[in-house]
Amino acid sequence: MSKGDSVQPADLLRPRHVGQPIRRTEDPRLLTGNGEYTADRKPDRVLHVAFRRSEQAHATIVAIDTAQARAAPGVVAVFTAEDVAELYKPIIPVSRMANYYATPIVALATGKVRYVGEAVVAVIAEDRYLAEDALELIEIDYAPLGVVTDPEDAAAADAPLLHDEAGTNVLVAREFKKGDAAADIAAAHTSVRGRFRMTRKAPLAMEPRSYCAEFDGRREAITLYTSSNIPGIVRDALAESLDLPGSRLRVVAPDVGGSFGSKGSLYPEEILLCVAARKLRRSLKWTADRLEDIASSSQSFAETIEAELGFDADGVAVALQADVTGDVGAYSIYPWTCALEPVQVVSFLPGPYKIKSYRGAVRGVATSKPPTGPYRGVGRPISTFVTERLMDMAAKALGIDPLEIRRRNLVRDDEFPYRIASGIIWDRTGFVACLDAAAEAANYAALRQQQAAARAAGRWFGIGLSSYAELTGIGSRIAVAPGMPINTGSETAKIRIDSTGAITATFGVASHGQGLETTLAQVIADDLGARFDDIRVVQGDSDGVPMSTGTYASRSAVLGGGAAKHASVLLREKIKRVASHLLEAAVDDIDVANGFARVAGTDRTVSFKQVAKAVYSDMKTLPVEAREELEASYTYDPINGTTACATHLAAVEIDPASCFVKVLKYVVAEDCGRIINPMIVDGQVHGGVAQGIGAALYEEMIYDDTGQLLSASLVDYVIPSAVEIPHIDVVHIESESAVAGGFRGMGEGGTIGAPAAIANAIADALAPLGIDVFELPVTPERLFRLIEIARSQQQQ
Amino acid sequence: MKPAAFAYCAPTSLDEAVRALQAADGDGKVMAGGQSLMPLLNFRMTRPTMVVDLTKIPDLSFIEQRGDRVAIGALTRHADLEFSALIAERLPVMSAAMPHVAHLAIRNRGTIGGSLSHADPAAELPMLAVFYSATIRAQGPAGRRDIAAEDFFVSALATCLDPDEIVFEIEFPVLETHTGWAFEEVSRRFGDFALACIALSIETRDGAIVDARVAVMGVADTPLRLRDAEQALLGARGDAAAAFGAVVRGCVAPNSDIHVSADYRRALIGALAEKAFTRAWQRAAGGPK
Repeated sequence: MSKGDSVQPADLLRPRHVGQPIRRTEDPRLLTGNGEYTADRKPDRVLHVAFRRSEQAHATIVAIDTAQARAAPGVVAVFTAEDVAELYKPIIPVSRMANYYATPIVALATGKVRYVGEAVVAVIAEDRYLAEDALELIEIDYAPLGVVTDPEDAAAADAPLLHDEAGTNVLVAREFKKGDAAADIAAAHTSVRGRFRMTRKAPLAMEPRSYCAEFDGRREAITLYTSSNIPGIVRDALAESLDLPGSRLRVVAPDVGGSFGSKGSLYPEEILLCVAARKLRRSLKWTADRLEDIASSSQSFAETIEAELGFDADGVAVALQADVTGDVGAYSIYPWTCALEPVQVVSFLPGPYKIKSYRGAVRGVATSKPPTGPYRGVGRPISTFVTERLMDMAAKALGIDPLEIRRRNLVRDDEFPYRIASGIIWDRTGFVACLDAAAEAANYAALRQQQAAARAAGRWFGIGLSSYAELTGIGSRIAVAPGMPINTGSETAKIRIDSTGAITATFGVASHGQGLETTLAQVIADDLGARFDDIRVVQGDSDGVPMSTGTYASRSAVLGGGAAKHASVLLREKIKRVASHLLEAAVDDIDVANGFARVAGTDRTVSFKQVAKAVYSDMKTLPVEAREELEASYTYDPINGTTACATHLAAVEIDPASCFVKVLKYVVAEDCGRIINPMIVDGQVHGGVAQGIGAALYEEMIYDDTGQLLSASLVDYVIPSAVEIPHIDVVHIESESAVAGGFRGMGEGGTIGAPAAIANAIADALAPLGIDVFELPVTPERLFRLIEIARSQQQQ
Repeated sequence: MKPAAFAYCAPTSLDEAVRALQAADGDGKVMAGGQSLMPLLNFRMTRPTMVVDLTKIPDLSFIEQRGDRVAIGALTRHADLEFSALIAERLPVMSAAMPHVAHLAIRNRGTIGGSLSHADPAAELPMLAVFYSATIRAQGPAGRRDIAAEDFFVSALATCLDPDEIVFEIEFPVLETHTGWAFEEVSRRFGDFALACIALSIETRDGAIVDARVAVMGVADTPLRLRDAEQALLGARGDAAAAFGAVVRGCVAPNSDIHVSADYRRALIGALAEKAFTRAWQRAAGGPK
């Protein structure tokens, strides 16, 4: 680990790009409709794929008759699981975890279907219309099996099994333990408890999932264009599954219209398209329509948590215990496994607090619903919701202000690094600084006065706080998902100056909206001494670097940025060595900035272009041994990673007529270390908070008892639109992390903090009625019921 | 999500359009703005053999005063109603309602004839037709007929139109003497279909209501005119908001869906009725327009 950011005299003269709100270089093309998404690919004589999906939630496939579909106009091929079984190996989301069963991932439902929307048959036709016409001609004979939609029912011994081989629907079970939490709670001065629930969500990117497998018959090669944020992982998995070397299987994520985690796993359709393209020796294309995308992309956040938190008389939290049941859906996903989301809940429940003893048990239970996977925040929106609700409940019980109870329990500056009771180590981050900054920015005391006046007038006005910490940019010592056998701990940057003097920086990370083309160029401009406009950032292409896993888990600023810094410094040293020849000065006297090498303190300079010409084109200027290729590559591993944290504060008012929650004020004080681009950081916070508000107030995937999806359109799956999102004030606390550049990850935090802050604000608003919030989203209907019940109890 | 194959024609006269529907023998579908039909086609929930596009027929887009009525051509876009000075002056409740019709892009394409013929029970224009006791005029093989709005809407997404009949214009009586009015709607998100909605207008004399008009939607299979609630308002004065809310609550038997329950809807329509009463009374008393 290198510090890498100590200020040298030359740094003061150099234009700084890191820290500037530079406009996103990708925006002109994206905002004028000139982006190139997977659906924009137009390979030669491409064929279109459509999937017949299961309308049954759990059933044996008795027979499939595809004869009529095969004979339909424009149809080139029809594939069932049987037709392609010999052409690839199933992909297994393995893990070293004990008590875990890895369900294999196959191209099409094999033997039985396990959720409504699972792909059963693929039709390949001249166009999508004809393909969809043929879907209707397929006859599938199902023998229904018992449907399990409720995870607690599914965990029962006599429940129908989704995976007979597993012998249980409990696909994963774990327990974290420190001290004797039960005894400590029993002995505590006060304890608060609740049964909390967060319902299932769809991450819902604007661009639905889209794949285009381009077959190159000359090389027996496939290039898969995919709307993925993990193209490197997809490449490695498919190479193994199809037995194709990386030289004949390239996976490219072109412009990708958002993921939020839903495009961060390997999908059966990606397997099918590659397998079928190879078999048919044709290029194939598929883009999910909105219905397919909602019904078959990975979902998330479906947990029930029984939790109890004990306090001493001073309001210091002493012990926490929790039992978490995750509704993980029908399959374990690759590579993260079905443990990702629910295990993250128990890992992070102690949050930023110094709770001494802890017991957190978790089980991930298979249900007849689509698999769950990563969604912005992963587990922590739920763990934060639970812990922050318990903090507020305790504050109320003990008569302590919510701000004060957090101040008493947060890890303080002089206590870092701090290992919380679940084992996570927080490095030095502004926990208390964020709490104070949020309170100050929102003018907490004045808000409380406003609340008192509103209450006196009979209005429901509430203030909610939520503090959290997260691990970001994690290195090889910590796996992103538990026991996973892939390396999520490093990323590579390759920076090259070619014979024209142009700079191309290639990464394995895969921006899908984060603006990495801008931020990584900012880092390189500073550390290489290049002009920002001269740098082209290439990413999302498995041909770019030997190995990469992509962009997820708030890692790309830390790992991509760290790799960029190191590679830049290596290349800068090469430039200095060439320039020392050209300028006849000592290497140490050369300063590189703004695309020029200069002898310090003089006006003697050479441009990068002159340097490149001397190295590559001019055979006389440099001695042969000094003609070092102007390229540097660095694979960066932050080993542990960085902590990031924030405090969110929401003020809400509830309309008694509609039970709608209006967010009057929203403040985020966050510490993401040194900021590369404050405009992009603000945008990430705004977007994250919007999704957190969606989770808190609007969004809910609803399945009925037979496993049918009832919220299958954007009319019924209610995501907030711009009008529903309040103004969000963002305060930055920049405490530099110990990794290269001092950066911390920050892509997910907004979603982590918002549900808890909104839930606490609602509970605070309704405190006069004695209402607590245990279930999200707090829809108008849920609030209506809570208020009805509270009123009838008050009347009694 | 692609439609099944269908034939398409774009006739240039109503007569020709009716003949095209007749020729389709019950399997034709009329398209105007396409804002409801296209999703239904793409979901394959409707599978017409022939789509008859009305947009090439001239003279079906207009807003004009006809004596004590305002006539609106079936192809008039929602946005035209929203920004019409005539509507604002003569049909103020419609003018207030139009911004609630879906989103701007949809209002730029969707038409009044299309919205009425689609008959969504939580859409604004069908309710406005019922509220104003509009006359919906349709042309079919047997000629033209006038249909009272309350007879037009049969149930959710169903009207009394024959498969070969086309709405070509709608006449809205102006409620000349009603100086107080209000339109209140709550939808989950801005632009969504209503969870509940009420339109109210009143005529007052000597500090009491002498005539009233009440319609609601989102609380039944069709928009409803609440005559009992209208009756209850006769003679009422400015303190009747709560009583009116209770009457309206008692008049409806809404359904539950995945968004809200019947109880919620009933409570909400009552609350909106109270709000609407207060607002209408203020207007009638010469308060802020």
